[in-house]
Amino acid sequence: MRNKYLLSILLLFIIIFLPSCNKQVPVGQNRVVVAISSDIESTNPLFAFTIDEGTISELLYLSLVQHDWNYETGNMTTSPSLAKSWDWNKDSSSITLNLRDDVKWTDGLLVTARDVVFSFDVYSDPLVQSKLYGSFKDFYTDTAMHVDLKKTFDVINPYKLTINFKKHSASSFYDIDFPIIPEHIYKNASRKDLVTAEKELKPVTDGPFELASWNKNQSIILTANKKSFLYNSEDIDELIFKIVPDYYSQLTQLKQGEIDFMQDIRADDYPLLKREDNLILTALKGREYDYIGWNNLDPGVYKKSKKIISNKLFGNPAVRIALTYAINRGEILHEFLNNHGEAAIGPMAPIFSSAVDTSLKPLPYSPDKAKQLLASTGWKENKSTSTLEKNGIGFSFTLYIPSGNPRREFAATVIQNNLREIGIKMDIEKLEPEVFFQKMYAREFDAWMAGWSVSIPPDLKQFWYSKLEDAPLNVAGYQNKAADKILDEIESTRSEKLQDELYIKLQDIIYKDNPVTFLYWIDNLMAYNKRIKNFKLTPLGPFHRCWEWSVK
Amino acid sequence: MITFLFFLLRIAPGDPSQKFISPDLSPRLAAIVRQSFDLNNSLFDQYKTFVFNIVKGDFGISYTYRVPVIEVIRQFLPFTVIFSLISFSIQISAGFLLAMFAVKRINGPGDKIISRTSIIVYALPSFVIGVALIFIFSGLLNIFPSSGLSSFDFDSYSFFEKAADYARHMVLPVITLSLGGIAVYFKYLRDSLEDAYNKSFVENLRANGFKESEIIKKHVIPNAVSPLIAVAGVELGLQFGGALITEVIFALPGMGRLTVNAILNRDYPLVIGCTFISGLLIIITNLAADLLKAKMDKRIVKEILN
Repeated sequence: MRNKYLLSILLLFIIIFLPSCNKQVPVGQNRVVVAISSDIESTNPLFAFTIDEGTISELLYLSLVQHDWNYETGNMTTSPSLAKSWDWNKDSSSITLNLRDDVKWTDGLLVTARDVVFSFDVYSDPLVQSKLYGSFKDFYTDTAMHVDLKKTFDVINPYKLTINFKKHSASSFYDIDFPIIPEHIYKNASRKDLVTAEKELKPVTDGPFELASWNKNQSIILTANKKSFLYNSEDIDELIFKIVPDYYSQLTQLKQGEIDFMQDIRADDYPLLKREDNLILTALKGREYDYIGWNNLDPGVYKKSKKIISNKLFGNPAVRIALTYAINRGEILHEFLNNHGEAAIGPMAPIFSSAVDTSLKPLPYSPDKAKQLLASTGWKENKSTSTLEKNGIGFSFTLYIPSGNPRREFAATVIQNNLREIGIKMDIEKLEPEVFFQKMYAREFDAWMAGWSVSIPPDLKQFWYSKLEDAPLNVAGYQNKAADKILDEIESTRSEKLQDELYIKLQDIIYKDNPVTFLYWIDNLMAYNKRIKNFKLTPLGPFHRCWEWSVK
Repeated sequence: MITFLFFLLRIAPGDPSQKFISPDLSPRLAAIVRQSFDLNNSLFDQYKTFVFNIVKGDFGISYTYRVPVIEVIRQFLPFTVIFSLISFSIQISAGFLLAMFAVKRINGPGDKIISRTSIIVYALPSFVIGVALIFIFSGLLNIFPSSGLSSFDFDSYSFFEKAADYARHMVLPVITLSLGGIAVYFKYLRDSLEDAYNKSFVENLRANGFKESEIIKKHVIPNAVSPLIAVAGVELGLQFGGALITEVIFALPGMGRLTVNAILNRDYPLVIGCTFISGLLIIITNLAADLLKAKMDKRIVKEILN
């Protein structure tokens, strides 16, 4: 009896499965499927904290202007979006924007200047805690950095407004380049609870795509907004972000055509993918680099009293330069990255060609030079132990790295061996990323390995300015008055040419001080299915103007 | 359990507000953001509020999903419960059928093949099984989809198409999750069935002329399954807590991924919510197992009553 019961269950399963087995994955539809490794938490641009959230929210909501990349100048150009034209006043302290009068929210209402003013209000409101909170430095604000709407905006008519910037600020298009949100949807929600209330609000959007559905931990389906002025009948109908957490599952699906686009491909897998006929492989020149942070300050003293005292091991620039000479970056680039990257000379990404000092060359791998330099600073080899010593104390330290990053683990081992060759004992300690970054930002490490990404446009002040309260990302505690002066000048100038010149000067100073060891710029390896047409890869990312993609 | 979890999470290093604070925010502005997480109050005050809220059934609001924890769990739990139940029933029934098959041919070639294969299957980690299944059935044969719970066009399907779509997506994950369990239950059942078969009362019954099928159904099986019920109760409870590896390989929205992501993001309310629900389910499945045992063996009830 029991056996019969079990058999009938099995039969039921077969009945369910059999008809479904014939169902094939639909191909050739006017849709593109993109793999992402984890779900987003919000489609709302106010709370788009991660890269994927930023990408999706910018496809759903229009900004006042949009940017394109100019490869010749290594810089961005600005083009119209919600604003169809504009006029800067003589000293660039205000801009008058003429908005398009044909852009509608998905609920049918027109997008007007009121939405623009409201967006600045909400983004800068400390109660909302948006992702842009604290970044309205060029605007008139109160002490909590909330934009002063009266001083800032003159609304001339529903499609024309003037934005006034703070006197002597370096205002630019970047100050107004963020997605505008609908006032009529958000105005009645409590600002304090907006962070939780936004989940209840239906996304009313105006971008080139609308949100069709969002299955948690499964997929986010965007459909083309056919009423958008950006829509063209040749363009794709659907853009699907499919959440595939496992890297190898993403690779399998890419090969099979279940997904059309994948990024962050490991260098090891690149040659294998090249054999696939249906794929086009490409690489985005990096804005991300790995570095070894040498704490220029004494972390113990800084933690206790916030006093700036030079670090016993790494406070001297000559020691830091010596350590850079001792590290074989070429080996890591060749062995792990398969040469998909380039050795770094400083903090300015090579893509910003007009702001990079091309006369500087990466320090070569030279253990002898490293030993000589260290000897000049008092670190001499103890012949019996083959280790470097100064005043009877050996040169040893711990390098902290975040766990779960194979590239950094590989590099740490190479570096450990390199330093052993010149008599330095380096231990490696892996920390869980949350813990690692908390300690790193608190400047608790002597030495660590991490990575930075250079924003577009570059903003190097927060990384290299001496006053640490104003430079939370200067975790190495770098101190140089000449660099500070240049960083202040860059911030107050509007001329891009002058900014480029100043950046070149800054790189020279940083090159000589070597506050950290810049390791390498890392290419982002990507592959996409041949059926996607109009795929244009720029430093602005793979999804830049993705609404213009078509499928053949 | 809740008190233990609360303090364990607070001892663990990490700061849940870190993710929401742009690194270039000045320390003063960062402090304003941090304040909203209510982590500046004393630990005892936080604990008091926390227990008071739990009593009211309020686990708080998830830091990452920004909706009440119960809402988040409500989205993920049904899938895990259904997925676990399907897999569990396959494990038990397949394990049982194989054990019966093997016991009837004890030490014969059939028994030996199944016993050895079960050891190999048990030793294979689920990520190997999962990846191999994807490679064969999804990559080479293209019969089943390699990940996800439903197709992109799911909303436009009829009821039967939807059921078939779900089923199609569930085949490979269910096999991945079940294979190891089938091997375990087979091993347990085979051994205890063999034990029961060799007991003297079976010999006695045979001598008294009872039919073989009657002996198996009424005497051997009840004696053999009772140690298994306790194990099955715990196993099912654990499965309700999520099957992390299977969920990651097949990109399924289950409790395992939810819990691990909550831990990695230091989403304290969600971690506590998930572990509380998982703990509760283990208690429930254990209780159900005990009741089932009592129903099958009246002596247990008598013992308790005495």
